[in-house]
Amino acid sequence: MPTAGNAPSCAPAEAIRLEGVSCLRGPVLALDGVSLAVPAGAFVSILGPSGCGKSTLLGVVAGHIAPAAGRVLLGGAEAKALAPEARGIGMVFQNLALFPHLSAIDNVAFGPRARGAGAAEALGRARAMLARVGIGGDEAARRPDGLSGGQRQRVALARALVTRPAALLLDEPLSGLDTHLRSQMLELVLRLHKETGIATLMVTHDPAEAMAHGDILAVMNRGKVVESGPPRRLYEAPRSEFTAGFLGPANIVDAAVAGLPGSGRVLVRPEHLEINPSGAAFSRPMVVARLEYHGHEMLATLADGPLRWVARGRGFPPVGTAVVAGASRVHPLETGGSP
Amino acid sequence: MTARGGWLLVPALLACALGTAGGAALTLRMSLHAPGTGAGLYEPGSWSLANWMALADAHHGRIIATTVVTGLAVAALSTSAGYLMALAAAPLSGWRFALAVGLILAPRLCGVLAALFGLQRLLPRGWLGGVLAETWLVAPYAALVLVVALRGIDPALAAAARGLGAGPWLVLARVVWPLSLPAVALCLQLGWVWGLGAFLGPLFLGGPGEATLAVEMQRELFDLGRWPRAAADGVALSLLCVVALAASPRGARA
Repeated sequence: MPTAGNAPSCAPAEAIRLEGVSCLRGPVLALDGVSLAVPAGAFVSILGPSGCGKSTLLGVVAGHIAPAAGRVLLGGAEAKALAPEARGIGMVFQNLALFPHLSAIDNVAFGPRARGAGAAEALGRARAMLARVGIGGDEAARRPDGLSGGQRQRVALARALVTRPAALLLDEPLSGLDTHLRSQMLELVLRLHKETGIATLMVTHDPAEAMAHGDILAVMNRGKVVESGPPRRLYEAPRSEFTAGFLGPANIVDAAVAGLPGSGRVLVRPEHLEINPSGAAFSRPMVVARLEYHGHEMLATLADGPLRWVARGRGFPPVGTAVVAGASRVHPLETGGSP
Repeated sequence: MTARGGWLLVPALLACALGTAGGAALTLRMSLHAPGTGAGLYEPGSWSLANWMALADAHHGRIIATTVVTGLAVAALSTSAGYLMALAAAPLSGWRFALAVGLILAPRLCGVLAALFGLQRLLPRGWLGGVLAETWLVAPYAALVLVVALRGIDPALAAAARGLGAGPWLVLARVVWPLSLPAVALCLQLGWVWGLGAFLGPLFLGGPGEATLAVEMQRELFDLGRWPRAAADGVALSLLCVVALAASPRGARA
């Protein structure tokens, strides 16, 4: 799978490519030399904390925000001179940005009409697209304030896709939905992605969501892409401490201080830390200091002198029990906590 | 406001009753005095519809028509000018926005009379001059209302429309304009009522043939000393304003 990074030239198979893009929002450097490639047909997730520049990045790709430096290429062509309406990009905004004065079907028909389709054709395409996302006749006639949160998300998705864009940008499209609706909407997004084959760039701050569904995951912090690649590689073998910590619970320690093999900072994922391990990279006596029940799993805090380790599993001895714990995998980290 | 806190409205209601309703009642009574009679609230033998009958003559017909047309013209011009100013100012931020608001308010930063003396030099004399002068006076208020309205429109809506293929003019026509219609209606109402009461503009720049009801009231009061006749003009003007409010678009009254 191709990954984001500093590839020297633009392959035509890339739907979106950013090269060294920097962007100022007021006095703040919102994007700082971002390079990222979205292969045609891929589903790329951008993950990062609030304010790290994720939405700004989408704004730059869509043409709503002009970069201060760097290049944006769409389908291999320089996009600098292209107005937003000429970029062929569909976007679902974080607040959905549905036109409040138009019905759902008119919202979806807006794009085809703006691109020159006749009223009947635009309405026909809108009706068909709404049907694909599960919005029927009665709901299609309602204005956004007469729809539920999930229905509004579907209308926004239909509106973004009805113009058959070259790429789809999703700015935290699932925020504000309950767990059940989130999973329904995500399924819909993935189904439509599979059916249409449109390259999709989805911004999220939920690591589980980003890792579960993206072909490529790009982790951002302070305006930079810290790391990108297949989600599994980033989770299990991240280069940076930030990525390691942001993607999930992590034991990040100094190898020398913890007496582990190797040098520098190392990562031990909680699921790799076992009680009474066999064939572990290291093992030592610890004491169960705390247990947290999470339903499908338990997190145990193990005291190792001044160090505290987190282990993940389904069964642990009671608090206060002395155990021998060790890790089957210790991953060395290359860089510090923030870019 | 809770029912228990409703008594807090009493001073405002009293002020309304005494200031507006009381004033209106006195004006109405004054308009029903026979020409040449006194000014008491009740005076036997003083009641007359003569001043009201005079409103139906050709002279007053022309004045009322001029007043209505002036109101409509001021409403249309001030709202149009205000919309253009608001479109220019609304997207700005920081000191640029502060400067734009300052420029919008500039016509009201000097005394009205000083401004009108200046406008006498700049504008044509006659009905159009009077209308333009009144527009000059009211347009800043319309612009401020519209600036607030335009800044209240989520910028993501315009961005979404652009991304869907709409150019800037189509965004204005299909997104910004419809969403700003309630404020436009409010400004039309403001300009309409302001224009109906147009006094200084027509007085300074208008000719004798383009008098409005307000100018006619001034003539009846101070030049001719016919208070009952001026009161009848005043009641007619008030009724026109009520009709204007009733005829305003629903969005402006909401």
